[in-house]
Amino acid sequence: MSSAISMGDSHSDDHHHLGFIRTYIFSTDHKMIAKQFLVTSLLFLAIGGILAAMIRWQLGFPGQPLPFNLGAILPNTMAPGGIILPEFYNSLVTMHATFMVFFALMPLMAGVFGNLLIPLQIGADDMAFPRLNMLSFWITPVAGAVMLASFFVEGGAAGAGWTSYAPLSASGEWTGVYMGQILWLVSLIILGFSSITGALNYVTTVIAMRAPGMTWFRIPLATWSLFITAWLLLLAIPILTGGLILLLFDQTIGTAFFRPEGSGEPLMWQHIFWFFGHPEVYILILPAMGFVSEVIANRSRKPVFGYHSMVVALVSIAFLGWIVWGHHMFQSGMNPFLGMSFMATTVVIAVPSAIKTFNWIGTLWKGDIHFDTPLLHAVSFVALFVVGGLSGIFLASAPVDIYLHDTYFIVAHLHYVLVGGSLFGIFAGITFWYPKIFGRMMNETLGKIHWTVSFITYNLAFFPMHNLGVQGMMRRIYDPNQYEFLQSLQSTNTFISKSVFVFAGIQIIFAINFLWSMKKGKKSGDNPWDSNGLEWACPSPPPHGNFAEVPIVYRGPYEYSHPDREQDFWPQDEAPVDDLDGPEYTDPNESTESNDE
Amino acid sequence: MQDSENGTSAHHMNVLGWKIDIYIGIWVILLLLTLGEVFYAFLPLPKMVLALGLVAMAVWKAALVGLYYMHLRYEPRNLWILAVSPLPLAFILVLAVITEFGWLVG
Amino acid sequence: MSDAGIATIDRTPEPGMGVFNKKLGMWVFLLSEVMFFTSLIGSYIILRYAHPDHFAPPGAILNVNLTAANTFLLICSSVSMVKAFAAIQQGDVKGLQYWLLATIVMGASFVGVQVYEYIELGHEGFLPGLDDYAAHAGGPLYGATFYAMTGFHGAHVSLGVLALIFVYIRALRGEYTVADHEGVEVIGLYWHFVDLVWIILFTIVYLI
Repeated sequence: MSSAISMGDSHSDDHHHLGFIRTYIFSTDHKMIAKQFLVTSLLFLAIGGILAAMIRWQLGFPGQPLPFNLGAILPNTMAPGGIILPEFYNSLVTMHATFMVFFALMPLMAGVFGNLLIPLQIGADDMAFPRLNMLSFWITPVAGAVMLASFFVEGGAAGAGWTSYAPLSASGEWTGVYMGQILWLVSLIILGFSSITGALNYVTTVIAMRAPGMTWFRIPLATWSLFITAWLLLLAIPILTGGLILLLFDQTIGTAFFRPEGSGEPLMWQHIFWFFGHPEVYILILPAMGFVSEVIANRSRKPVFGYHSMVVALVSIAFLGWIVWGHHMFQSGMNPFLGMSFMATTVVIAVPSAIKTFNWIGTLWKGDIHFDTPLLHAVSFVALFVVGGLSGIFLASAPVDIYLHDTYFIVAHLHYVLVGGSLFGIFAGITFWYPKIFGRMMNETLGKIHWTVSFITYNLAFFPMHNLGVQGMMRRIYDPNQYEFLQSLQSTNTFISKSVFVFAGIQIIFAINFLWSMKKGKKSGDNPWDSNGLEWACPSPPPHGNFAEVPIVYRGPYEYSHPDREQDFWPQDEAPVDDLDGPEYTDPNESTESNDE
Repeated sequence: MQDSENGTSAHHMNVLGWKIDIYIGIWVILLLLTLGEVFYAFLPLPKMVLALGLVAMAVWKAALVGLYYMHLRYEPRNLWILAVSPLPLAFILVLAVITEFGWLVG
Repeated sequence: MSDAGIATIDRTPEPGMGVFNKKLGMWVFLLSEVMFFTSLIGSYIILRYAHPDHFAPPGAILNVNLTAANTFLLICSSVSMVKAFAAIQQGDVKGLQYWLLATIVMGASFVGVQVYEYIELGHEGFLPGLDDYAAHAGGPLYGATFYAMTGFHGAHVSLGVLALIFVYIRALRGEYTVADHEGVEVIGLYWHFVDLVWIILFTIVYLI
């Protein structure tokens, strides 16, 4: 085909001339940047997990010194004699969520998979702006360092919750935290630039750098979801940045945007925060949905059921996600009429998610299912996300939410969608695309052990929280036993804590698997999963520039088990044989006008 | 005033039989609108009328800059759809929060 | 389009925008900027609506005439910017350099006038902090919102001037031609955007 353009000089030659620093530290290669994001996010995931373990220690074994003499490491401002102080507990709940949401999940979703998958799946040689991409990564550890530093300043780390409501967060007067809150704000303001520049890159790359024949409706769902997520990041993060700056001004130069003593409006903070915050949660889940679609289709050897409706559902979720934010605020004293409208829109947004769920089930239905680790994670995503979605529907109803708001029911809901959903989705993604990144397979046995124990202990830990919430246990509370009506819940809390410790512990198996397989895993070859996507049409790991020749795309990404073919997969870039046209084959040389827009 | 791509030889508009550089032409309109805004702002009219009129003039000016200086008028349709896409969100946020303070729904 | 140390393929854009990367990238970036200013301007509108007593009628404290002239100056700089772009579209390098310089001078002057205005307002007690506000009308929210909005806008203008200087230096070196001047177009988009935001800000902050 005359449109196959050669990449010119071999890119692997350029590689030597770059040296260690340009190859591993200041790399502009999207795959290296993805790996860098992977290292930092997994580190922050571990930190977030440690903070969670400490929270659970206090709730499970209240007032007892931390085990294994860990209390000796912590200063007296945090845990004198190993017993966690209430003020430190507030910082723990705040920072656990902050690290998990901003430094673990977001970089994993967008930073790792956005960088890894987008250029490869659309057949590009790199991102649209590789140097900007590099900058986007390096901002993250800088912001992370600022956030970590906040633990060690006088007054300790921020303790106003990850939602940082004013007026609690606007002045150190109430929490005793001064510098810590300021550093929290500064860190997130800095981090915002990473998200915005990254999102800018992803959007531009997907729009402008698709290979010939890669029309919009031939793009794999992983890239679609990352593209939509990038739009959400692009438009939501600046709102947060603006709000954070105003709050920072309240803290530092004495303005009163949110401080009632100066006629400021605390409710305005909540509106600004959640206007960002709701699209944010879709940022945290949509990519996982994309990965799950890929894995389920591939492991069932079937096309995604309802590919077009999957795309429409993604776009609908993203679109509707902008007009539901008030459902986080039903108890805030907001205008009840406004609350009603948010209730209506929130109920509606369940519909596209349901469509996706039924489509996943439809994809699995009567498939030739291979029950390996990526599929286990993907299917458990669907199940656990449904649980999270169902608890969400309860909360969507304002009258119910008024009772359940800021109880452990919310904690259960958010962890079902963020851990049961996002984290398991990320595990699906990592186990599936690991061979592409490292050229080796992860160990299946370790993977299955990790999944089994994780799945069981996760549910043991978080399902009972629904009941805790209904019984009235508040969120972020240091000592529920101070209330007589909550004292009977202590045994449940202890049980939950033990389950969490096992859940956290088993992640070590994942870490071992991850590290061991890098060197000792079975070599994977280009396409170990017999998959159709363009990312599998290049070596594992791909060289600089990814593809030896610009790939040409002839069909959609989910032509599995096509009746006219012997093989149960049909790569997107496989040229059609003369007498057999693929179902969506169009000769890119013949059509001169743009295809579906 | 259709252009082939971005560059053309002559970007002109016809005003009373004179050929004027479009950029200068728009500039004159912007000047007039600015003067008009300042004049209008101090008229003894009800607050709402003032506010709406001023916002309308500002939006008009902004649109002119966007269409002619940023060349949106000549770009593919998808680009200007993209360009205006965040605006509805801005309206939604502000309008929704204003209702908190008694507007439209007590 | 060699952005990086690695060679990239020169490919024509796929169905999509029909525009090239840098220009699309700048447009996409500007959308995020719209949202950023939305949060600042939005908070102003909300606070103004909630506490009208904190704010003063146009001209009571702020210098409308000076700022109107300054607004016009910024609009002129937008014209010179687009003239610069039109010049290089024709291959007129001298014209490009001339008009870029004009834009820089006018942009820098805009910032200068704003700084002067800030100093004057400060002397009158018009300050952002709750405890510092001592102007003869309005309340601290007026100061806070004013400085937040115009300050960040001014910062964007300043960064734009720096970027323009960078582009100007490249123009002096003859690095822009008829065939390749995407950089000029891109900085032009940013500059017009900054002007556009000011058009809205001037109206909302000074005239309403």
